[in-house]
Amino acid sequence: MKTRDLVLIALFAAIIVALGLLPPIAVPLIPVPITAQSLGVMLAGAILGAKRGTLAVALVILLVIVGLPVLSGGRGGLAVFAGPTVGYLIGWLPGAFLTGFISERFVKDEQSAFAQISGFFIAAVAGGIGAVYLCGIIGLVIMKGLPFFATLVGSLTFVPGDLVKAAIVALAARAVQVGYPLLPVRR
Amino acid sequence: MKSLYVEGSGLLYRLPVGLKLGGLMALGIGLFLFSMPFVPGIAVALGGALYFSLGLPFGEAVSRLRSLFLTILFISAFSLLFTPPMEVLVQVLRLTALMLFAATVTATTTVAAFMEGVTAAARPLERIGLVKADDMGLAFGLVVRFVPEILSRYEAIREAHVARGLKVRPVTLITPLIILTLKEADQIAAAIDARGLRGH
Repeated sequence: MKTRDLVLIALFAAIIVALGLLPPIAVPLIPVPITAQSLGVMLAGAILGAKRGTLAVALVILLVIVGLPVLSGGRGGLAVFAGPTVGYLIGWLPGAFLTGFISERFVKDEQSAFAQISGFFIAAVAGGIGAVYLCGIIGLVIMKGLPFFATLVGSLTFVPGDLVKAAIVALAARAVQVGYPLLPVRR
Repeated sequence: MKSLYVEGSGLLYRLPVGLKLGGLMALGIGLFLFSMPFVPGIAVALGGALYFSLGLPFGEAVSRLRSLFLTILFISAFSLLFTPPMEVLVQVLRLTALMLFAATVTATTTVAAFMEGVTAAARPLERIGLVKADDMGLAFGLVVRFVPEILSRYEAIREAHVARGLKVRPVTLITPLIILTLKEADQIAAAIDARGLRGH
């Protein structure tokens, strides 16, 4: 791995940590303020691509394991892994990967702004919602013995907030792609 | 950024990190073998005794685990809809015990000791060419170093919005934050290579 890639991964992990330390942001359309950390996970994939994005998230999880309070609300340490919602945290890995994987293939330089934003949005929804929720729900099923389908329905309440996040990710990722492109090109 | 390690001495502080993590894993599996509340109940009492005797101020000790414990209770209330109460009780005790023991391991292990354990665990991956174990330490240091800088940059961008009478919006805030931060990568990488920190 090139030193530059290593640094990009570390800097993005730092961005994800910093986003977790910020006060929740109020956004239009939904009543509760959102925490920005899961936004960072989708952004990691959309901006750095599948491989480096996943490694940035892995680095954040490593920081959690070694006992730094890097998750939103100052959570951290091994106790997080005893929580019933740990599946959502683990889901960040495939989430960032899938977001990156789709972004690398769907978003191209010669596309219109609208096509690029749509590509990033689809990628963020598939990775940041699809993959993350799937892992989170499987985690709840394993750790609490909940029925899969009911858990799926129960977690739908969080989807509107995450759709807003995916939209923010799509706009921000496209702006970064124009200003300072880092996404590996695929043909 | 302050780690969750708590200054102290005692048997738990001297055990090797691999043993502590292995014990935690064994406990996690072991607790799932019992379906009566008795055994996980004892584990909660033991874990609580260990965790609260670490010398952490009581308020701080509670606040570290509060949100996690509330999540356990919240999810358990939801699972009462599908699961007999006795089983839910066992689940709550099981997860609470694991949470307490895990928090105890975190509080009695320095970040340096953890990093040593992680690096040692990464050596086999290094042999098959997946990662360089030393890179993990370097990346780790970079994150800890740059989080405060990103936070102050965020604050600067926010103030710039206010100074220009712009509404503070997530997109116009996050985009410059990311571009400004990632643009530093080339310089930092050059500095690392110039110092030969990664070896060749």
